Parts: sequence; structure tokens; C-alpha cells
Amino acid sequence: MSASLQKGISVLKEVIDAPIASYFSSCVHCGLCAEACLFYTETGDAKYTPIYKLEPLRRVYQQEYTLLGRFAKLLGLSKPVTDAELEEWKPLVYDSCTMCGRCSLVCPVGNDIVYMVRRLREGMAISGHAPEGLVGASQRAVEIGSPMGIRLPAVKAQMKHVQADTGIEIPLDVVGAEYLVLMSSMEIINFPEYLAAIARIMKQAGKSWTLCSEAFEATNSGIQIGVSDIAKVLVQRIVDGAEKLKVKTVISPECGHAYTALRWEGPNLVGKPFTFNVLHILEVLDGFRNQGRLKTSGFEETKLTFHDPCQLVRRGGVIEEPRRLLNLVAKNYVETSDPGKMNWCCGGGGGVSAIEEAQELRFEAFKIKKTQLEQTGAKTLVTACANCRIVLEEGLEHYKMDIPVVGLTETIAKYLVEVP
Amino acid sequence: MNADLFLTWVRSTGLSIATGIFVLGTLWRLFEIYTMGRKKDLAVPRHRTGASGLHTMFRRSVPPPGMFKRSPTSYVAGYVFHFGLFVIVFLFAQHIKLIQELTGLSWPNLPAQFIDATAVVTLATMLLVLVERINKPVKRFLSTFGDYAAWVLTLLPVLTGFLVTKHLLLSYTWMLALHILSAELLLIFIPFTKLIHVFTLWGSRWYNGDVNGRKGVAT
Amino acid sequence: MSISNDIEFKSAMSDLSRAGQRLVAARFAENVLALSGDARVKGVINSAKRTDLTDDELAAAFQSAKTASVESFTQCGHECDWNDQAGHFVAEAALASVKPTEPGANPAWDAAMHARMARTCETIATGQGTDNAEATAQYRILAEFLNV
Repeated sequence: MSASLQKGISVLKEVIDAPIASYFSSCVHCGLCAEACLFYTETGDAKYTPIYKLEPLRRVYQQEYTLLGRFAKLLGLSKPVTDAELEEWKPLVYDSCTMCGRCSLVCPVGNDIVYMVRRLREGMAISGHAPEGLVGASQRAVEIGSPMGIRLPAVKAQMKHVQADTGIEIPLDVVGAEYLVLMSSMEIINFPEYLAAIARIMKQAGKSWTLCSEAFEATNSGIQIGVSDIAKVLVQRIVDGAEKLKVKTVISPECGHAYTALRWEGPNLVGKPFTFNVLHILEVLDGFRNQGRLKTSGFEETKLTFHDPCQLVRRGGVIEEPRRLLNLVAKNYVETSDPGKMNWCCGGGGGVSAIEEAQELRFEAFKIKKTQLEQTGAKTLVTACANCRIVLEEGLEHYKMDIPVVGLTETIAKYLVEVP
Repeated sequence: MNADLFLTWVRSTGLSIATGIFVLGTLWRLFEIYTMGRKKDLAVPRHRTGASGLHTMFRRSVPPPGMFKRSPTSYVAGYVFHFGLFVIVFLFAQHIKLIQELTGLSWPNLPAQFIDATAVVTLATMLLVLVERINKPVKRFLSTFGDYAAWVLTLLPVLTGFLVTKHLLLSYTWMLALHILSAELLLIFIPFTKLIHVFTLWGSRWYNGDVNGRKGVAT
Repeated sequence: MSISNDIEFKSAMSDLSRAGQRLVAARFAENVLALSGDARVKGVINSAKRTDLTDDELAAAFQSAKTASVESFTQCGHECDWNDQAGHFVAEAALASVKPTEPGANPAWDAAMHARMARTCETIATGQGTDNAEATAQYRILAEFLNV
């Protein structure tokens, strides 16, 4: 057994807990998880069955934590997990799983399959079986501060650009501001409209906010590749920044995994509760709406629909906020089939969009979104995650569908009644 | 080996062994699983009514939105045969009598004809379940020896039980002995196969509902 | 007429017809075209600059611009190459010039902003810092366009 395989199996042993033991013991091989997974439903290939993706983890559980399993191992009757097998499982665990969590919602015996995939990735990554694209992203995240290699000068350039666009000064490192605004690399690079929208909304709401020069990045590649140590470092940066600037609330941007990483895994990664609140930008906006701080005028007349980012809605619990916000500025808002927590993944989350080899599969899986959109007859697609946005645009382009994709925050900002 | 001796054996020694292994085995497996514990969640939970571990323990029995049409047989057949098993095991007069002898508890039974009909439906549905497992690509792909063995172990008591009450196939004594033996085999294997899901699914659903409930997602 | 700030800049353009906005937007995109290596983008700009563009040709230019734009996004998790990203914003500027818009929209302003972002990407890539004179260049372009 190679040293790295040994490390990998060690890690797998560590991460197995009572829930995982319960899940593996309860699985009756009914296959319903496959019917919930877009990688199976759109390809018909049974190997994409979610519980099957966990086979190496299941055997480690059996061989290490069950009496019979240990006995069998002692007698040389069990099949060990090998490097070859983990390598074979790499595309199942990474390329064909966005950690969307739909499988966890449908398993009749209650198995939280996505939780187990997240844990299996820990062992895969340590043993050297994570996809190159994710390895690079995580390394850059740790060393540079952003998985896409963004450094502070780039952020400052964006700030300047947005300042010119909006006429509003973008605050940086303001101690005692109420909100610390984080951004994802995707927004910094591809969607400067997000920061512009924040600036205008905050101004209207009369709230103090700031960016942080030492913690501007919200994306957490550690979660995607499945290395908790990396995830922890990235969260700690934000914690340090938030505490240094003494903010009350940290705002997670329109990025799915950033929210999961910070809001739900964050305190567990750093080992103690946060001294500040964490809210997704949509929660903040909905809060403003509720307090009457969000003054809008005018409506989108075209028929529009919403794509629920998995990490935000199903896995994050921010289900009604996007709908309340959209109803504020849209006259013709229609839901897709399976809206809200049961919605279908864009196909690019969980690191999949960073894996070159997975692109073809991703486009195949996209057929479900394509069908959903065609059924709504919508002319515009709104979403609240920068990665979903690009994945959706690419999917729509691939299938020659002419539907623009826009961000929700930016849509709200479009209808703001400007206070001079 | 004559029929009477065999029957006496399965009713006494056999029963003791089987129940012993079943109880101790199940207790051991549950201990083995749940004492592994889980880390405390340090994130601030959301509190939304209807979203909790307890809710999911029961609500997970309902097909989630959009899922029924994807595999109606899984749901319908699954419910029918599980329900059938429950009715036969717990609402048949002879079984209730056995439980009363062992534990002192008893309750009203359902008429024998009803149990008969339930047994037939259960057998037919279990056959359908097997056909599905063999025919549907995902089920076939996932299935192991354990799945087919579990099917046989579950079917035999129902089948032999039905044959006994109808006085079919072999002499009453043999048939009854085989029925009891088949039930004992089932008991012995429950803790060590996927059949343990009878107990662990409650824990699994609870964990699932709890994790999601803390995020405010009702599953 | 001379334009010296963004308020004048934006309002002068909002008075233009859609075709007029297209023509000036194309010029903004053209000013940063050197930052894009995509021949399709050049093609779109050339089409957009023509006053005799037919509806079919406009639709074709729109498709081409959209494809160029979508294909040049930097993927989540990929290392960002600021030169490539500049090219993406040039494509966005070209797209803004030819995309269908609702009445009241200001696609020429969108194109101008994307063109400035393209220039910002270039200055990030070359390590020149965050200042660039694209806005002033755009004021000049607009003034020339209006005075003709």
C-alpha cells in the first residue's frame, strides 16, 4: 500500500461517524437516489447512481467498523480499497457529482448521500486522486488568496471601475462597519455588476459596509476538492478579517459553495462558533425589503423564471427570499417544475465546472435544465450564484437557446429608486 | 429425523437460538453504529417549523415532489409488501398468540381470510419487486448476492406460512416446522444484512432531518 | 459639443436611437479590439458599424457575439489570465452593441462600461495599476460621433 493511499484510508477512517455508519447499514439498494440525480437521469448510465459513488467508503466502513467486516478482513476475505479503484472512482466522485444534495432528499431510508460524498472526497484528495483542476484551484486559493489567482490590485481595479460606474465610493477596511461584503473570484473577474449593485443598494438602505483587503474572497475550494484543512484556512482568513474590522455581519455573495462553506461548515472547520453573523446577500436584501429599506420602482415585464442554486436553496435553506425579492420587481415570474428545494442542479457546482474532462458530461446533464426552461416559456433566467450563471449560459449556448441569464442582486439594483 | 422432533426443536432450541442471535445481534449492531457518535454542530441553526429530525423520520415515507412518477413501482410495491408483512406478522391470530406467550402482550387480530388475502398480495408484490430488481438497470446494477438472499429470507416465511395455513405441499407438521425455521433464519440474518434497515432507517432519517432542519430545510 | 463627465456621457447616449447606440457602441468596442484575439468579435464590430445593416445580419452578429462572449468566460476555479479576460469584455462590449434591448435601455453605456473593464483587465495584466484613460477616450469618440 503506498504511503498516500494509507493516508487516504486513514482519513476515511477518521471521517466515518455514526450517521455514515447508519446510512451504509440502511441502504437497501432501491436505486431511487439515481432517479434524483441529473447525471443519471440525463445519461441513463447506472454507474452515476449516487450511492454507488460511495463504494470505496462503504468498504472502509465495513472493514474497519463492523465486527463481521473486521473478522472477514482478518481472514483475508475482504476486498481492500486500492489506488486503482480510487482512480477509477475519481470521475464518479468528482466529475459526475456537484454535491447538489438532491439524492439526500429522496432516499427512503434517509441516507444523506451528499454528506458522504463530501467525506469521501477527503480521502480521495489526500491520496492524490482529486482532479487536477481542483488541485490547482485549491493551491491558488491558499497561496494567493483566490482560486482563480486574484490579488488585491485586481480587486482595487474593480473597485475603481465600479466607483466610476456608480459614482459611489467603495469602502475598504473600514473598522466598525456593519457589514463585511465578500466576493467570489467569479464576481470579481466576470461580474463587476455585482459590486456595483451592492454599492447602490447599501447606499439606499443607509447601511455601512466595507470590503476587506485581507479577506475579499468567499469561494472555498477546500470544500469542493474535499480537504477540510484547506477549507479551514480559507474560512479562518474571513474570520480574522471580520474580527479585525469588528463587523456585525459578514455577507456571503452570489456564490453557492461560499455560503455552505462559511455559514454551515465554517464554525465546525475553525472549531468554534463565530462572533459575527453570516448572511447570504439575498437574506440581507430580503431583510431590507422587510424593513422597507429597499425602494424600487418599475417591473420586469418579460416572463422570467428562477434557477435555484443548490447550495443556497436546498443545502442552504434560503428558499423563500429569492421569491419574495423577485416578486418585488417582476410582474411575470413563473416557477420551473420542481421549484425550490427540489430544483435541478445546473450541473456545474461542486467543482465540476473546474474539471475540463467533465465538460461533455455536464452538457448532457444540462438537458434537464433545458427541459425545465422550455416548459416555462421564460424569456429571462434569474439566478443567484455566479458559477450557476456561467454554467447556465454555457449550457444555453450549447443548445442554442436564446435566454439571457442575470443575477438577482443586479436585477434588484436595476429597479432601485436612486437617492441622489 | 421425524417431523415431530424437528417441530419441537425449532419451537424450543431453534427459537431460543434465533431470538438470542436476533436480539443480541441487533443490539450489538446498533451499539456498533450509534456509539460512533458525531461531532457537535457549531453553526447557528435556523428554526423553521416542520424541519427537524423527528419530522423527517415520518415524512420521508412520503415520496418527495416529482419522485413518484420517476419510479412508481418502487414506491407502490415497496409500500404494499412492507405493509403486507406488517399485517401478517402482527395481526394474524397465531402470531399474536406467540407474542403473548413470549412477552405477555396481545391485541386484536384481523380475520384469517383477510390475512390470507394479504399474504397472496404480499407474495405477488414481492415477486414483482424481484422482477423489478432484475429488470431495472439501476437496481440490477446495484444488486449483490445480499439483496437476493434478503429477498429469499423474507419471502420464505410468508410463503411457508401461507402453505401451512392452507395445508398445502407437505404435511402440516413439516410445513409448520419449515415455516418456523424460515422465520428463525430471517431473524438470525436481520442484524447482519441490509435487513437491519428496519431499525437503522429511523436513525438515518433522523440524522438527515436534523442536518437539514438546522438549515431550515424540511425534508 | 464636448463631453467631460459620465453624467453628460450617459445622457447624450440615451437620447440616441437603438441604431445610433449600436453605431457608437461598436466604436467603443473597436477602441479596445486590440485586446481581443477573437476574429468573431472583429466581425461583429464591423457589422455593427455599418449603417446599412439588415435585420438578418444583425441577428447573425448577435449570435456570433453571444457565442464569443460565453466561450471566453473564465471558468470557476480556473486560473485567471487577465489578457484573456480583457478579450471577454471586448466580446461583451460587442454583444451590447447588437443585442436586442427594451425601450429605455442604454446599451451604448453598457458597451462603454464593458470596454472600460477590458482596458482595466489589460492594465491589471501588465501590472500598470488601476488607472486608465479609456473613459476620456470614450468621451472623445462620442463627441466625434455626435458632431458628424
